[in-house]
Amino acid sequence: MILNLVNWLDDRFGWRAIWEAIFLRKIPHVNWFYTLGSATLFLAILQGVTGILLTLYYVPTPDHAYDSVVYISTQLPAGWFIRGLHHWGASAMVVVTVAHLLRVFLYGAYKYPREATWITGVFLFLIVIGFGFTGYLLPWDQKAYWATTVGTQIAGVAPVVGDWMLRIARGGDELSAVTLARFFGTHIWVLPASLATLVFVHLYLVIRIGITAVPSREEE
Amino acid sequence: MDKSQEGKMGRRDFMKAVIAAISGVIGAAIGLPAIAYVVGPALQKETDEWIRLGSVSKVEMNIPTLFKTVIEKQTGWINAEEEFSVYVLTTNSRDFVAMSNICTHLGCKVRWIPDQDGFFCPCHNGVFAKDGSVVSGPPPRPLDRFESKVEDGILFVKRG
Repeated sequence: MILNLVNWLDDRFGWRAIWEAIFLRKIPHVNWFYTLGSATLFLAILQGVTGILLTLYYVPTPDHAYDSVVYISTQLPAGWFIRGLHHWGASAMVVVTVAHLLRVFLYGAYKYPREATWITGVFLFLIVIGFGFTGYLLPWDQKAYWATTVGTQIAGVAPVVGDWMLRIARGGDELSAVTLARFFGTHIWVLPASLATLVFVHLYLVIRIGITAVPSREEE
Repeated sequence: MDKSQEGKMGRRDFMKAVIAAISGVIGAAIGLPAIAYVVGPALQKETDEWIRLGSVSKVEMNIPTLFKTVIEKQTGWINAEEEFSVYVLTTNSRDFVAMSNICTHLGCKVRWIPDQDGFFCPCHNGVFAKDGSVVSGPPPRPLDRFESKVEDGILFVKRG
């Protein structure tokens, strides 16, 4: 009965072929370092879930942002847990992404025919850094405020375009309600949309081309 | 698939079971707190409190009299002031009926119109008599009443 339904659905969705392509593909005999990409994906999903939950209560305005964060951490059941996951998950995300990048680099896995996978990966890395930079401001506490003051100031010292970039990032001369709102919008819309799109391409390439074997001295 | 050993779990099935179990644990570890986190504010009950309306001498005989007061309210991360209005009716200057000004249909605010001797709701034309009973329109029940008390000539209602 249930099997009939599953088959009926598969006739229409064809999910079995997709499942097999993703999870039952042939891979070379590899080591644990090859799980770093999956770990990054897992963390990205975790950040997405906890981030969505945080937006249920967080408000990106200077007069209430900090209060809403305190409310999440101290008043809500498991609020400290959800925010804690997002906070530590963010750091873990950067660490694991860099580890994944290093593994690919040191194993020479970026070479033909995987250059496109590598390039999308580099952009994904930049997006992860962007998440970290924009997310850091959102609690709107002293650390957030001054870190973003310094961070945008650093962009400001770039030759020729520096001042222009600083003003674009801050939405004006100095940190304000405009800065907080655009960092929030970037953090929850622009970057997630870019990340999702590029992850899709990245995974498509991983599955289409297959993963590299561990490099070895001997000719194979 | 290992079909040679009937009844014994193969390596692949074992791994599948382990992965499913770990996924379940992770899902529960995030899903259950998430449910508590989402429904949390909905479970908070407002505490009962007596609200001071004002002197009973202001209540006119046989005419619903409006008392307005401002109460402090903590909603989420905002401390807001909220206007709280009550209609008070007395027929003998000793017993007071305190009625909510919230329409029992869908929660709009009703207003006492002296000329027409009734409470009128602007949203769907609900009409209540001076004692709060429904005269016409969609309201399913009379206006809600608050528990009230008089102390030293001051009228209080209990909000819960």
